[in-house]
Amino acid sequence: MNAYIIGGYRSAVGKSGKGAFRFTRPDDLGEQVIRKLLADFPQLDPERIDDVIVGNATPEAEQGLNIGRMVSLMGLDTEKVPGMTVNRYCASGLETIAIASAKIHAGLADCILAGGIETMSPIPFGGWRIVPNARVAKANPDWYWGMGLTAEAVANDFKVSRDEQDAFAAESHRRAAAAIDGGRFAPGIAPITVKEVYLDANEKRAERTHVVDTDEGVRRDTSVEGLARLKPVFAANGTVTAGNASQTSDGAAFVLVCSERMVKELGVEPWARLASYHVSGLEPRIMGVGPVHAVPEALKKAGLKASDLGSIELNEAFASQSVAVVRELGLDPARVNPNGGAIALGHPLGCTGSKLTVQLLHELGRTDERYGMVTMCVGTGQGAAGVFERLR
Amino acid sequence: MKATEEIPLHRIRRVAVLGSGVMGSRIACHLAQTGSEVLLLDLPAQEGPRDGVAAGHLRDALKSNPSPIYSKRFAGRITTGNFDDDLAKVADCDWIIEVIVERLDIKQQLFERVEQHRKPGTLITSNTSGIPIALLAKGRSDDFRKHFCGTHFFNPPRYLQLLEIIPGPETDEAVLDFFTRYGERILGKQVVRCKDTPAFIANRVGVFAIQALFHTVAEMGLNVETVDRLTGPAMGRPKSATFRTCDVVGIDTLVHVANGVAEHCPNDERREVFATPAYVQHLVSNNQLGAKSGAGFYKKVKDANGKSDILSLDLNTLEYGPQKKASFATLEAAKQVDALPERTKLLFNGQDQAGEFYRRIFTDVFAYVSHRVPEISDLPHAIDDALRAGFGWELGAFESWDAIGVVEALEVLRSRGLTVAGWVDDMLATGATTFYRNVNGVRECWNPATKAYEPLAGQEGRLSLAWLPESATVWSNSGVTLQDLGDGILNVAFHTKMNSIGSEVIQGLNKAVDLAEAGDWRGIVVSNEGAQFSAGANVGMIFMMAVEQEYDELDFAVRAFQNTMMRMRYSGVPVVAAPHGLALGGGCELCLHADKVVAHAETYMGLVEFGIGVIPAGGGTKEFVLRLNDELHDGDMRINRLRDRFLTIGQAKVSTSAHEAFELGYLREGTDEVVVNRRDQLARAKRAALELAEQGYVRPIERKDIVVAGQEGLGIVYVGAHSMMSGHYISEHDRLISEKLGTVMCGGDLSERTAVSEQYLLDLERKAFVELCMQRKTLERMQSLIQKGKILRN
Repeated sequence: MNAYIIGGYRSAVGKSGKGAFRFTRPDDLGEQVIRKLLADFPQLDPERIDDVIVGNATPEAEQGLNIGRMVSLMGLDTEKVPGMTVNRYCASGLETIAIASAKIHAGLADCILAGGIETMSPIPFGGWRIVPNARVAKANPDWYWGMGLTAEAVANDFKVSRDEQDAFAAESHRRAAAAIDGGRFAPGIAPITVKEVYLDANEKRAERTHVVDTDEGVRRDTSVEGLARLKPVFAANGTVTAGNASQTSDGAAFVLVCSERMVKELGVEPWARLASYHVSGLEPRIMGVGPVHAVPEALKKAGLKASDLGSIELNEAFASQSVAVVRELGLDPARVNPNGGAIALGHPLGCTGSKLTVQLLHELGRTDERYGMVTMCVGTGQGAAGVFERLR
Repeated sequence: MKATEEIPLHRIRRVAVLGSGVMGSRIACHLAQTGSEVLLLDLPAQEGPRDGVAAGHLRDALKSNPSPIYSKRFAGRITTGNFDDDLAKVADCDWIIEVIVERLDIKQQLFERVEQHRKPGTLITSNTSGIPIALLAKGRSDDFRKHFCGTHFFNPPRYLQLLEIIPGPETDEAVLDFFTRYGERILGKQVVRCKDTPAFIANRVGVFAIQALFHTVAEMGLNVETVDRLTGPAMGRPKSATFRTCDVVGIDTLVHVANGVAEHCPNDERREVFATPAYVQHLVSNNQLGAKSGAGFYKKVKDANGKSDILSLDLNTLEYGPQKKASFATLEAAKQVDALPERTKLLFNGQDQAGEFYRRIFTDVFAYVSHRVPEISDLPHAIDDALRAGFGWELGAFESWDAIGVVEALEVLRSRGLTVAGWVDDMLATGATTFYRNVNGVRECWNPATKAYEPLAGQEGRLSLAWLPESATVWSNSGVTLQDLGDGILNVAFHTKMNSIGSEVIQGLNKAVDLAEAGDWRGIVVSNEGAQFSAGANVGMIFMMAVEQEYDELDFAVRAFQNTMMRMRYSGVPVVAAPHGLALGGGCELCLHADKVVAHAETYMGLVEFGIGVIPAGGGTKEFVLRLNDELHDGDMRINRLRDRFLTIGQAKVSTSAHEAFELGYLREGTDEVVVNRRDQLARAKRAALELAEQGYVRPIERKDIVVAGQEGLGIVYVGAHSMMSGHYISEHDRLISEKLGTVMCGGDLSERTAVSEQYLLDLERKAFVELCMQRKTLERMQSLIQKGKILRN
């Protein structure tokens, strides 16, 4: 049974720690995106939804307690729809779409809400309590490396210079600013209402409410010269800086995946389908080049060549790995991240795969292209790639 | 000057500091860190936020090095504002201190505006360094004049101890008395009561000394770098000596003070000395004012290879050139003499050109200070106090004179055609031969007015090892002296090089506990009056054993150190450590094992063993694990706290103040305490030991309940060390040391969290230490410290 994406939204992406969603809980963020998505399908009885699958890279604290099930309860006004949480780090939000599609292909379900949520504001990178296996840590410490060090290793192994990284980062900001100014993201963004309770200048309780519908990460004054002045943050004499790495962020995104039967019943025209999906494993030390392994496999499964892809959303975990991936795969830089990437727009880990999917489908529509891809490197040595076919 | 009721010390809660320049912002920091809320005002900004001037100056001050504040958290007590919008807020302040530009008319205008808002009874002072207080008070109300005086801080106010208090003609005695007590007890200052004479005390005499030296240098044809070698630590003066100090202070500033004295003191018998010599005049007119203009008496240059060099000014040609090394027999001989009084005498009697130089500069100052009594101070010791606290002299002028011999110096002085004030002859005529004397632990100074010795003011409630009579010495060896502080308290003072801890110190510490437990002592204080409390274990001794591969002996020596630390902790009497200055490595470990630490605010503590390639093994690592254990509550994330403690040792973090030592976990909130005035420290430490004894001190029980993380914590140790090495932040050897440290802190590779004893951890510590001493790179680090005094990162 074919599986189709019939709709999808993402929140704007907030800067973690100081951004618009710094105190918005991840479950609240997820609930609002789901409500916006379902409002487009009034004919769908929420109880017909078979599952809510939420990708999340740090499922603990605010994101713990099976946030998938919590979001289902909070957003669907019924107790009958189950929910689960999936963790494949930065590919989580793409993995959930693949799982939803596969369950429908297998005839196990007809309608699934698949997406990803990550608020990095309240939870430190890697979680609150990092406890490596001592035996493994002694033998293979680089399996547990922080991501920044892997970016340095990629820069080193694949000869990506500081200049190339900074130039890539500056271009990401330029493209992202143009995309926002051109209103390209607006159709895919679910506006989020943020209610804030705070103390005014006289320490009196006060409330205010505002709506967030624009990505926060872009710096319009970014320049190659400015980026060149930043100090490396992960290695002495390294090349990776806060300016040429992705931003930590808060965000949520969901798509609605339906069987052919459900599409007919709802009387909607399918938007797109996941044509293929592949995840590869590689040396954790250079996890950043994961897409170099995953992309050819995903293309092969879909029976396509890279040149068939109208647009590619390559998650910009770091400029070093992005440059290396584009170069190794011989991709057309103009078609990779035409609207900027995570360096400018932010990278809410487990949300990213779903967020990029929503962005990709709108971009394919705008440019009237048929095929596109979402791909990313994944911590501890993995790469993921999904090929999408636009249907309307 | 009618005396009224004593003003209590707690009167000050809020202080307004008017003027936020270099001095104002730093005074604000010091007042904040000694317990006041501070309102810091300056002119309104021309653009941007109205408070931008004061806020910007404060921000710059907080970023400056050395830091003006013990800990950044104290900066939260300072609010900024501007004269136009916020002057009314002085009504809520208990003390207003003016620190604006040194111009009478501008200061008077500001005081006039302040008077419109100031509440009667509010203390008000000026930080002027040169304008007569009487002129500043002119035109103000009775209440203002009664509560007005000079409070002259020296830059930097956190580090320079001097506070000059200058009365105006109508200042209430209670106000002067208050600032004397407040300055000493709360601000930690050496307060010197001045008269309203030009440049007050410190600058009048200090600048005379520099000016006289300028002339002597020219007459004798000496060069800049030679003079700095002669007038630095050799004679108990700061490392920057004379010309380097001028460069730091600013040559124009110095000339400004000198001109002021020349102008306002027409009757000064050495007025001609304040005339600036040609070579100094040359520098000022060429804008070569010192560090701030890039060149002064010295100039830093870079050669073609980018290597920097410091050139010195040739006083004849007025060109900069490479420094020349001169050597003097007198200076070489002086190196062998540790005690400054003896060394001073030796320098003064030198038979070479250096000796001649010293005789001239000493006698110039001796003659001058004799004539300044009673003009600028009724008591000779106030001049010494000002020179010590304001210029960093270890001995004041009269103290140096005593060291040389009053009569001996007088002969030289007269042979040079100088005169001495009559009161000195009067003193000698009574048979008194020194300006100072110690009587039963009390220091006394000659009072020319009463023609008798009188105890120095401000000694009540204070103690100094230097004042104790010889009979107070209970026991001593080459590195330690045990002295009776009275009331059953025994003091342990180190006097080794840098007060490092070697076998003689270990012996002394054990002897103290032996005596205390055998006799009827009630407590032990560990304190000394050297430049540093203790720079740590004697690295030379460890190095020798390690090089000779005498690992059993090394193990034995470390065990002896550990046992001694444990004896301090588990002795039958309370042990109070009173550190100041450096308390590093073993010196820090000693403090960690005291029942209580009474630290001077300027205490720089740290477990710095990584620098020589080992881990703390005198119980320092053990104590960190123990404290980590005790600070955890059920459900806390043990690993994160372990990481913090681990990094404190792993990065060899040294506190920049005693307050920061609490933040780094070297000192314990609620147990240890900080004393802001060094001269209050010993008495406070003694009292703390007595209090512990009186509270019913009993020997503590050795801990066997320290929970270690075992394998749960070990993984992150391996990953962290490897990541830091891969990021090139640490070397391969650092990684090894880190893994050893982490293993000790986790209690080894135990399968589950386990309660262990102190001895278990001490054994792990010692084993790791000895193993690291087998490493070539550790030996290289030790060698570098011993031979070059430098930390090698290999």
